[in-house]
Amino acid sequence: MTDHRQRPRRRGQGELEAQVLSALREAEGPATVGWVLDRLGGDLAYTTVITILTRLLAKGAVTRERAGRSFTWTPASDQAGLAAHKMRKVLDAESDRGAVLASFVTGLGPDDERLLRELLGRSGSEGED
Amino acid sequence: MGVFVFLPLVLPLTAWPMARLAEQHLHPRAATRLLTWVAAVMAACSTLCLGLVMVVGTAQLPGNPLPDGWSDPEVRAAVPYDEVVGKAAIPALFAVLVVCGRTLWRHGRVRRTAHRALGGLPATEVVVLPDDVPYAYALPGGLRDRVVVTTALLSCLEPAERRALFAHERAHLAARHHRFLLAVQLAARANPFLRPLRTAVSYTAERWADEEAARTVGSRRTVARAIGKAALVSRGTPVPTLAGFAAPGPVPRRVTALLGPAPLVRNWPSVFTTVGLAAWGAAAGTAVSAMSSANSAVTMFFILYAATPL
Repeated sequence: MTDHRQRPRRRGQGELEAQVLSALREAEGPATVGWVLDRLGGDLAYTTVITILTRLLAKGAVTRERAGRSFTWTPASDQAGLAAHKMRKVLDAESDRGAVLASFVTGLGPDDERLLRELLGRSGSEGED
Repeated sequence: MGVFVFLPLVLPLTAWPMARLAEQHLHPRAATRLLTWVAAVMAACSTLCLGLVMVVGTAQLPGNPLPDGWSDPEVRAAVPYDEVVGKAAIPALFAVLVVCGRTLWRHGRVRRTAHRALGGLPATEVVVLPDDVPYAYALPGGLRDRVVVTTALLSCLEPAERRALFAHERAHLAARHHRFLLAVQLAARANPFLRPLRTAVSYTAERWADEEAARTVGSRRTVARAIGKAALVSRGTPVPTLAGFAAPGPVPRRVTALLGPAPLVRNWPSVFTTVGLAAWGAAAGTAVSAMSSANSAVTMFFILYAATPL
């Protein structure tokens, strides 16, 4: 599951994502980019907020709907979804995941999948007898 | 003392055949405990040995903070090739300390951040995360031990198989498997010859949890199916290597073991079997390694004590 690992980025990017997401969560209903910008204040550029929202969209943390010429944004995640998102980040940052957390299954080698299907198939047919 | 000073550095090699045999023939619980202890003792001995060699090697370098008497010819005579080995031991010991420290720090950090990620959720033992990546693991420590599993993994399992999954993760937590895993990991960092023990213990710990789960749900086949399905659904991208040459990975071996009969519980096998011979042989190797290190330490201590100008 290394394909989710993020490249090292400029500092503060993850922090901004969290800020934008928490701002969205405070909104009552779908919010526009302008609303998020007002909410966050500071010296953020309009395009920066769009970039961050697009990235959150790619992660499945927000959804968007077309409203006229622009989009309105809604946080996709409830509390559990947010936790899932954070947990993914923890796990993805850990290149050698098995080193710390004993996961239920480890990766399969090239021949393992075929072998496993054979074993399961045999066990399944025996179970039906 | 001659070359025996260096014995603890290479004796971990004696644990290799034992790791193979123990993981195949011993009950997983006995194998995990035995191999972890062997790894811990051998790592401690090897690091101690490195430290002693370093003291002698460093004492002769100009500008070192150690007493001048420690570089006396009598002291140096205790370590063969003291100039080369002593200097080589400095970076080696330093590297061991750094990587072990890093491993500990990383272990703590991952556990902390993982607990923090679950912070907003009710403090239940089982946490189900809505995620389309299938995974499950046991998260020890924090306010309470937790079992983390995603909806993607649960959705591919039948109710009995889910029970098997939870029983497996609870077994990890109940038996504090993370301590065994951390111990062998540190040992493997301290002496690279101990790496096969780390691989063996991470396998036997999984087998231990599998056996516990099989006992809890009362069906070995259910646990086997749960593991197999979970592995197939979360296989990710298979590594295209030379197929046919690869030995079966840990998952098929676990499934095969579960489809076979339950392992016998016997803590120490008889000396007159192959397993017994290997286990006792490696245990003897560990004992010799420990005694040789202790002997080196005590001798070195007295030599240095005698050479210290008061």
